[in-house]
Amino acid sequence: MAEERTSDAPTPDVTDPAGTAEPAPADVDAALAALTPEEREVLAKVADIVRRIRFGTVVLVIQDGKVVQIEMAEKFRLR
Amino acid sequence: MTMAEALRDPIEPPPGAGTAIPKLSVRNLVKVRRSSAGSITTAVDRVSFDVHRGEFVCLLGPSGCGKTTILNILAGLDRPDEGTALLDGRAIAGPGPDRAVLFQEPALFPWLSVAGNVELALRLVGVPAEERRRRARGWLEAVGLGRHADEQPHELSAGMRQRAALARALATDPDVLLCDEPFGALDAQARELLQDELQRMWVQGEGAKTFVFVTHNVREAALLADRVLVMSAAPGRLVEEQRIFAPRPRRLDDPLVSRVVSDIHELLMSEVGKGAAS
Repeated sequence: MAEERTSDAPTPDVTDPAGTAEPAPADVDAALAALTPEEREVLAKVADIVRRIRFGTVVLVIQDGKVVQIEMAEKFRLR
Repeated sequence: MTMAEALRDPIEPPPGAGTAIPKLSVRNLVKVRRSSAGSITTAVDRVSFDVHRGEFVCLLGPSGCGKTTILNILAGLDRPDEGTALLDGRAIAGPGPDRAVLFQEPALFPWLSVAGNVELALRLVGVPAEERRRRARGWLEAVGLGRHADEQPHELSAGMRQRAALARALATDPDVLLCDEPFGALDAQARELLQDELQRMWVQGEGAKTFVFVTHNVREAALLADRVLVMSAAPGRLVEEQRIFAPRPRRLDDPLVSRVVSDIHELLMSEVGKGAAS
């Protein structure tokens, strides 16, 4: 009987039991699917910042288990 | 605070960034110093930057890097040898009431009371006597000197004298505040109090004023500025810009402030090392 596949994601990498390699896309997909809307909003903001800056720092301020503020500093070399 | 407020885009442009003309603009500024022995050194070497309306920009660099020279040119107290310095798109021809300068020494008139010093500044810009008194008292209250208005400057501590100078600078409602290490001569506690005070006033004023603040204190720059322009040892050039997007009031132990401080500190130490080696 033909193998039934419900998604195109590859099976977990059994050659890397310690998990030192990049997480398999299936895990990322599962993690993303499990995000709450608030967590998605935070990550979207962070991703947007990461896309826009070349050198810098992003700080997430967390209170009572929630991200309450995103701060950042961007550095430009001028010479 | 709602989630939407908390996660407001931290990369908001400064309030005046959308307008076509920057509040202050410096282009290819060169300033040469001639010593009494006749030698010529370049103090400021082709420096260019803009400051937008409502921005707080710190000029940071080791001693002798030309940051005070740039501030004096912006104040109209000195002229560039080459390049241009513009205010609202027009060449700066001299000092004007639209720019207040705050020096390291408070420069209060010793024969006038604290309130008298503030009132004199208001008189020079044509404010009528009654309003002078009212506004001077108001600003002295704002900087915590309400009870000392009638004292003479020598009766105040160094920190209180600098508060009086700050009240005098703000009383005339200038568009631009040019600060040359205003807290440099104060002890650590007085400096921290005044840094907090300045941040508080900045928050209350909703960033309506444009600040150019010269300092060699990295922590002060990271605490106060929207942008820190880091200069090299002489001849002064701009080497790095740090844009800091964090709400005020900030604290020195905020992780972002600490991170920016260590980053700039490392750069400055290498600059000072280069200066010492040359």
